[in-house]
Amino acid sequence: MATSSFPESDSRAASGGIYQWIDERLGLSEIVALARHKVVPQHKHSFWYYWGGISLFLFILQLLTGILLLVYFRPGKDAYESVRQLTYDIDFGWLIRSAHSWSANLMVFAVLVHMFSVFFMRAYRNPREFGWWSGLALLGLTFVFGFSGYLLPMDELSYFATKVGLQIPGMMPGIGPLITDLIRGGADVGEATVQRFFALHVVVLPLLFLPLLGFHLYLVQRHGNALPPAEEARPVAERRSVPFFPNFFAMDLAMWLIALNVVTILATLYPWGLGAPADPLTPTPMGIHPEWYFMSQFQALKVVGRLIPGLTGEIFGMVTFTAILIFWAVIPLFDRESNGGRRARITAWVGYLLLAGMLIFTIWGYAGL
Amino acid sequence: MNYPVWDVPLIGSTWVIGAIAIFHIMISHFAVGGGLYLVLAERKARREGRADWLEVIRQHSKFFLILTGVFGAVSGVGIWFAIGLASPQSTSALIHNFVFGWAMEWCFFIVEIATAMVYYYTWDRIDPKQHLQLGWLYAGSSWCTLVIINGILTFMLTPGASWLAVSDTGQEASRFWQAFFNPTYWPSLVLRTLICCALAGVWALLTASRISSFEKPALKTEVLRWSARWLIPAFLLVPIALAWYLSAVPEHSQKIMQAGISTIGSGMFTQVTRAALVTTMASATILAVVYFLALRNPLDFTPGHAAAVLFLALAATGATEHAREMIRKPYTVGQYMYSNGVRWSEVAAFNEDGFTTHSPWTATQMEKGELMFRGQCMNCHTVDGYRSMRRLLHGRDRRSIANIVNMLHERPATSPYKNFMPPLVGTPEEVDALVGYLDRMENGRPSGAALAEKR
Repeated sequence: MATSSFPESDSRAASGGIYQWIDERLGLSEIVALARHKVVPQHKHSFWYYWGGISLFLFILQLLTGILLLVYFRPGKDAYESVRQLTYDIDFGWLIRSAHSWSANLMVFAVLVHMFSVFFMRAYRNPREFGWWSGLALLGLTFVFGFSGYLLPMDELSYFATKVGLQIPGMMPGIGPLITDLIRGGADVGEATVQRFFALHVVVLPLLFLPLLGFHLYLVQRHGNALPPAEEARPVAERRSVPFFPNFFAMDLAMWLIALNVVTILATLYPWGLGAPADPLTPTPMGIHPEWYFMSQFQALKVVGRLIPGLTGEIFGMVTFTAILIFWAVIPLFDRESNGGRRARITAWVGYLLLAGMLIFTIWGYAGL
Repeated sequence: MNYPVWDVPLIGSTWVIGAIAIFHIMISHFAVGGGLYLVLAERKARREGRADWLEVIRQHSKFFLILTGVFGAVSGVGIWFAIGLASPQSTSALIHNFVFGWAMEWCFFIVEIATAMVYYYTWDRIDPKQHLQLGWLYAGSSWCTLVIINGILTFMLTPGASWLAVSDTGQEASRFWQAFFNPTYWPSLVLRTLICCALAGVWALLTASRISSFEKPALKTEVLRWSARWLIPAFLLVPIALAWYLSAVPEHSQKIMQAGISTIGSGMFTQVTRAALVTTMASATILAVVYFLALRNPLDFTPGHAAAVLFLALAATGATEHAREMIRKPYTVGQYMYSNGVRWSEVAAFNEDGFTTHSPWTATQMEKGELMFRGQCMNCHTVDGYRSMRRLLHGRDRRSIANIVNMLHERPATSPYKNFMPPLVGTPEEVDALVGYLDRMENGRPSGAALAEKR
């Protein structure tokens, strides 16, 4: 009589056969060998290496929850109603929406931490310049993701915050009003804006973001993790490292698990609410402000506007922002020497000032609400 | 009807009980599961002649004695103080209905505490066989405390038709065992026993994680793996026991559990569903950490990891106990006593004669509206903090406040609060006094219709 179960050795052989079949076609062994060969430096600042991976995980969460939201979200005149249904009618719709919103905010936070950790570890220096530039571009796209996604529910807060937020590009001398009209799809924020932001949020930005992310990850793979200057100064024999696979990869997964727990706890205990529907005819409510990651820029512009009223102040503000952005982008070309020096010290001070400025203006902005 | 002078600002009396109870449960369940852990670990170590393992168990028993004997006992007494102040009527009802039950509980508790001390102080001082017998005595008596308290706790959710038939007749004691072995007794006992074993494992991981990976790698590996296995029965069987438990809870409790599936609407206890999600996530994370670290890579398991597991266990326990308390609403004892201490059987009489006339705090000591608020609302609400009345009434004038209060009083079938909040009892004059009090609380002065009347 025929038996329906495989002997153990047969099942092992069968699974080995399947692996071999896939391996011959996809080259899995080479990838595993590469991962085992790759090492990650171990030192007292190693903790900061995880923030790139955490950002990536939160982006994956964004993709997954975003696709689920797409099933129910209807841009245009039904935008508010569809988000209301998601939040108050559809089973676990609130959970998906809250997870999307919280992971979006946490992703911005993680990317900012990643950027400053890369900056202070001088990981933008030769040969990692393109890693820095692609990272900055990803950060910029992350901001646009956040800004475009914030309007989509079309409730009172998101509507007026978007109006306020669009004042920033509107201040650009000459082309500001043109760009703002183009973004809005008209003279004011409305259905056309939601439609445009939706297309931007779910099609244009992912099309730009994903290949750029692939390029960024390729560069990380190619050049490996940078050593901070203090560690670089140590003799090679004294440096410690661990294999990427499985050691660092396991820690990466642990960080992802922590991030998932944080998102879950925030999404369940503080679910993302929904305000009253946007009404353009009502006056702007008191205390309307952009999202926290735009707060420092918003507050800085307000302060500049108070100190230098009128068009001069607006031009001064925009020119200063642009100068900071350009300097931040060309830092790899400015600070190239690996053994310190005057430029390294200037760069470090710029970093401290920028970080302190962002924190102070953000706190100041919220305190003034 | 509660002591209206006990006002806990911001967190409310609910969270005074909640915070003490969650802390106590973490320790008391460890006290039950940990007893079994200690005696089985000692038996294994003695059979295998493992002196090094016995030393670890001895250290663990010291930690166990201090934690359960001091913090467990103190927090247990703390619960009595807190419930006595926050819900004297409910506490009184439980004492009177379970006099024999409490007597048994305290007997087992005394045996438990005494044997825990003797067990620790007689290491190497008495015959190993006798020491093991002491351990078994401890494990048995501590589990018996659970057996008893479980009957009283589950009674509060499902007192059962038999006991309810004689409630308020003076014949309640005749149905003691029916009330004790109520519909949720057995699934709850299985659930809690499994959790006790899991928590014994979680706390043991904390002790085992402190063994040096460099000096005693073999010992650390063995103790961690053996301790981690204490979580396996819970992870395999809790889903089954939970399904059994949920099948036995009343239909309106099941509705509260499910209220938050489709909505985050406030005032409908949607947080119960969300609390269940926190439990699920925390438990899944514990499983992952324990499997990948304590079982697969024990030498990498540090006290930090053990503390993280403990924290997650605390989150899961807290969220679960919070959900369990919430699904009992609007009662403290199902279909018998509402969460504000008013008995089901008293509603008609209080509506006829007045709520404040039955209060030990007469209206001369306190304005009638405030007495109504303190007697019937403050069990669950605070003025500015947890379930803040000011926030819930925000933007409402007297007429709007009166609409809500009357809805709570008349309880029409369409009332969205009917399944979650007790009926507001009292004469029309008392209800009006409460409306006036809430109006002044929210608006600082009489508003809307009342203002117009005055003018």
